[in-house]
Amino acid sequence: MSAVPGAVAVIRRRSGDRAARAMGAPQIVLGAGFVVLALLAGALAPYDPGAAAGEPLEAPSLAHLLGTNSVGQDLISQLLLGTRTSLFVAAFAGVGTILLGATVGLLAGWRGGLVDRVLMRVVDVVLVIPKLPLLIAVAAYAGARLWAIALIIAVTMWAPSARVLRSQVLSLRSRAHLRAAVGFGAGTSHVLRRHVVPELAPLLASGLVAACGHAIAIEAGLAFLGLGDPSRASWGATMRDALDFPGLAYTTAWTWWLLPPVAAICLVLLGLTFLGIRIERWTSPRLARHPGGASS
Amino acid sequence: MRHRWVRVRRRPGGRRAGGRLLATYVPTVLLVITIVFLLPRAMPGDPLAALQDPASGAFVDDAQTRANLRAYYGLDRSLAAQYVNYLGSLAKGDLGWSIARQEPVTALIGKHLPWTLLLVGVSLTLASGLSFVAGMAAAWRRGRRGDRTIVTALTALNAVPEYALAVTLLILFGLVMPVLPLYGARTTFGEYGSWLAEVGDVAAHLVLPAAALTISLIGAKFLLVRNTVVSTLGQDYMVLARAKGLPERMLKYRHAGRNALLPFLTLVGIQTGFAVSGAVFVESVFAYPGMGSLILSAVETRDYPVLEASFLVLAAVVLTVNFALESIYARVDPRVGRA
Repeated sequence: MSAVPGAVAVIRRRSGDRAARAMGAPQIVLGAGFVVLALLAGALAPYDPGAAAGEPLEAPSLAHLLGTNSVGQDLISQLLLGTRTSLFVAAFAGVGTILLGATVGLLAGWRGGLVDRVLMRVVDVVLVIPKLPLLIAVAAYAGARLWAIALIIAVTMWAPSARVLRSQVLSLRSRAHLRAAVGFGAGTSHVLRRHVVPELAPLLASGLVAACGHAIAIEAGLAFLGLGDPSRASWGATMRDALDFPGLAYTTAWTWWLLPPVAAICLVLLGLTFLGIRIERWTSPRLARHPGGASS
Repeated sequence: MRHRWVRVRRRPGGRRAGGRLLATYVPTVLLVITIVFLLPRAMPGDPLAALQDPASGAFVDDAQTRANLRAYYGLDRSLAAQYVNYLGSLAKGDLGWSIARQEPVTALIGKHLPWTLLLVGVSLTLASGLSFVAGMAAAWRRGRRGDRTIVTALTALNAVPEYALAVTLLILFGLVMPVLPLYGARTTFGEYGSWLAEVGDVAAHLVLPAAALTISLIGAKFLLVRNTVVSTLGQDYMVLARAKGLPERMLKYRHAGRNALLPFLTLVGIQTGFAVSGAVFVESVFAYPGMGSLILSAVETRDYPVLEASFLVLAAVVLTVNFALESIYARVDPRVGRA
């Protein structure tokens, strides 16, 4: 036949599955390693990341495994403690995003009617506001405290997950066992907690993974723009310091100053992305993957 | 071939769609303006705090002068009166006064916004075209090695934040193989012999920032087109079209592609927001003189009026694009107005 196989092939297999499976395995190791590194960062980091621990621009050595920056701060310590900052943001902002999104999405989908219309209008409004300029304006005022940054991220990023979850609840609503539960007199909160949430667990899990990724990317991005918490190391801040150093291009310092934080953030975000895909395919091939989910 | 395509007139329902659009966009615009209005006022302290504080160097001793100052800035009036006043000055195009640069914010934005529009416009157009063609091609070869490779690669690229992409390009083309200009939008103090040389110089400076932004925008759109087209391939009308013996190109673009167009346009709208955010990052890497660089320097000097106005203006750009896109949906897909 021609380049288009017949309809049978379409039914047989949604393509891309095998690719996703092959990409899955290392994510768990990577994720676990990231969490362990973040928790132990305080003990592992040899120096205070903010203190001048050596000569300026020392090349990597045993004393400074990733060398030092232009003011003599130890770069491996910055990288390690940056892991902790990222984990903190992932935990608080990621979980906060999903909590908000799930509350709005489940309520709107389950209650329907006026509640649904009002909540979805709010979602529409929040969705079209460009996030980063808003984050910048709010973060500039709210002050550079890490928990404040995490809170702002959660408050601005919840809308896409609310919309996805709502549409899934709508499709669940007419199922027999849920109608039976309502028939027996179950209230909204009971049905949502006991029936809907467990049913949507895989989607919530992959949504959480995605939200954590976005939170990490945004925190590092804000730090990169100079809006991070100055009392904490952040990969974004290390990158910004390196780029702001005028002589960066004239030495090889960029290989140990600029490259490691870029590689670290790419690695973590790639890991989270493929972990999310894996969770989806793994637990529930039934739930359609939502294409074009939000990023940054 | 025109006779195959009977144009469907827009239904009267189109007006209802217009009403729904306004119901989304009017509150959004008001919300954005209100956030910008409330942000400085909700924070502790007030803009003239230093003048009131006997401990600060700027303390004004005379109570009458202090009151005059507050009256001059309108701070003695109620919040509602301040809001009306603020709306009035916005309507006049007055976005405030830059503290750090001592210039009207409107003038600053006028200088920076065109560069961002150029960067975002070029990148969105490139990313849209490339992702549509590549998405169709991948869907047509779904399941094969080429498809799987490109799906994996673009999923991966989609996960990498814009600034990391931009820094990677900067390292590759600035430090490893210095072939392209890394800094700014044109050669500093450059003298151009002709307008052609000027265009060439601007284009050369645009390559890296636009490449970074395009790459970061391509992934989501590609996956969407590919998946939509894959899901249309098994439809009855596709089988029928094939059975009629329509040429491959017709099948691909007239039947399968047209169906992917609506979700694609929706995503282009959503991505305008991402593109603007991405441009802020990309510009801050390449020191491209657009809104991103303005924001970066405003963050350094804590120039709040500039940050607020940047948010306001970028939101206005994104909202305008979204509004325009949603208004043309009905033309692309006659079903929209009826729903």
